[in-house]
Amino acid sequence: MQLRYVFTELRSGLRRNLSMHLAVVLTLFVSLTLAGCGMLLQRQADKTAEALGNELQILVNLCVNDDPSDTGNCEGGAVTDQQSQDIRAAIEASPEVASVEFQSQEEGFAEFQDVPEYEPYFEGPDPVITVDDWPPQYWITLEDPERADGVVSAVTGLEGVSSIKDQRETLEPVFGLINALKYGSWIASALLLLASLLLVANTIRLAALARRREIGIMRLVGASTLYIALPFLLEALVTAVIGVALAAGALAAFTKFAILDGLENAIQFVPWIGWEDFVETLLTGPDVSLPFSGVDVPIPLGLVVLGPALTLIPTLLLTRKYIKV
Amino acid sequence: MIRFEKVTKSYPGPGRPALDQVTVDIDKGEFVYLVGQSGSGKSTALRLVLRELRPSSGRVYVAGKEINRMAGWKVPRLRRQVGTVFQDFRLLPNKTVAENVAFALQVIGKSRREINRVVPETLEVVGLKDKAGRLPDELSGGEQQRVAVARAFVNRPMILIADEPTGNLDPATSVGIMNLLEEINRTGTTVVMATHDHGLVDQFRKRVVELEHGKVVRDEAAGSYGFQH
Repeated sequence: MQLRYVFTELRSGLRRNLSMHLAVVLTLFVSLTLAGCGMLLQRQADKTAEALGNELQILVNLCVNDDPSDTGNCEGGAVTDQQSQDIRAAIEASPEVASVEFQSQEEGFAEFQDVPEYEPYFEGPDPVITVDDWPPQYWITLEDPERADGVVSAVTGLEGVSSIKDQRETLEPVFGLINALKYGSWIASALLLLASLLLVANTIRLAALARRREIGIMRLVGASTLYIALPFLLEALVTAVIGVALAAGALAAFTKFAILDGLENAIQFVPWIGWEDFVETLLTGPDVSLPFSGVDVPIPLGLVVLGPALTLIPTLLLTRKYIKV
Repeated sequence: MIRFEKVTKSYPGPGRPALDQVTVDIDKGEFVYLVGQSGSGKSTALRLVLRELRPSSGRVYVAGKEINRMAGWKVPRLRRQVGTVFQDFRLLPNKTVAENVAFALQVIGKSRREINRVVPETLEVVGLKDKAGRLPDELSGGEQQRVAVARAFVNRPMILIADEPTGNLDPATSVGIMNLLEEINRTGTTVVMATHDHGLVDQFRKRVVELEHGKVVRDEAAGSYGFQH
């Protein structure tokens, strides 16, 4: 096939619609960057949940004498051995629980005393907190850090249970923020992707109009549909490649300056995403699989696929419409 | 070479069909005039041959193939065997004469070497060898139509279809185009020409197929344009 004509047309097509192509490139750039940010945040959230989730435990405080609890479970004073065993049984009966550890008053109070800052509370002749004030505790490790409702409700009403502390609640705001950012960037990127689709459609319409004569003659003399559509497809591909390249640059800068040079040094108790996640965002995208039972075929939705698909698919559909043989 | 079997073509909307049970058989190497008033169905018949349209019923055969049932991707190959000339020339204004003719070969993937060989040859046939570098705007109407004929003929098609090729030309120039079409016909190319031009039809006697309200009312070898006109 002689492609000289195709490339001449590609050059003149890109020049003729320069402003439209720039508009497509810019919207594509911004929308792909946002989509990529969403994917990176998703990875960050997963990573954080994975790293911290397993360490987060649920803490069941048992009653002591004169317990300040307002649950009504401590009317009978300090927890009895029988109550403690019933509570343990209830906890172990829950399928959500991986393991449970008992910590006695003495052990808990000893740990508390190990922290020098707390010295004013237990030193002196009449300390604020004594060993009798320290509640015996059950420490529950969960099978799945996301699921704890069953065990919490099983234990809540039992006699001898003073209170239940869920350590996961401390991290809720962090996950909330990550999720809000993630959904925000996905919605914004979806809107912009829609805008870039419409821009591509308009660009094709204009280009087809400008080439009306040529297209008419090509059809008449028997040029194949692919040959007629090729300049359009290449134009779409060029804009997509530029858009993806710009978005990749922006995301690389984000990974380098915001994550690796910034947050990773500032906040060290969570693991941060790195270059590996950046590359996967470009190539494979989020973990989306075809919903066929038993068949796990990942759909590659990385930016290098998403960008060209967004310009090529409308181009294919529209050129079929405008240059129908 | 071209065969219509009881071809009917109706356009959407009320009214009689553009072609009504038309049966015509055109052999290889024939020269056929398609005559009739505006709206008699001439252009519809030509567009059916190119498969720009499909018949509502009946069959159209071109070069032995039933083209109304042909797969869409084969249509370009069909059109490479059918050259087309129109009343309004349809040249590309920003390309020279030679480039306009070469364009028809480029877009069907011919090699540059073949193009460089065939285009000057064809321009010589139509008598425009010395105007190869001109733009269409710099040519007269007759010359522009010669370029269009060259473009239609450059791929040596089996069939040449001309829809009112002399409609925009003065009588003397028209005769020149007719001579050219006759010459092409002598190379074995089947020529089908839709026309209004009494003078030409009466002067160059060929087979005449007359359409009226979508029906064939006359099919006459070496016929005249008709009595009523």
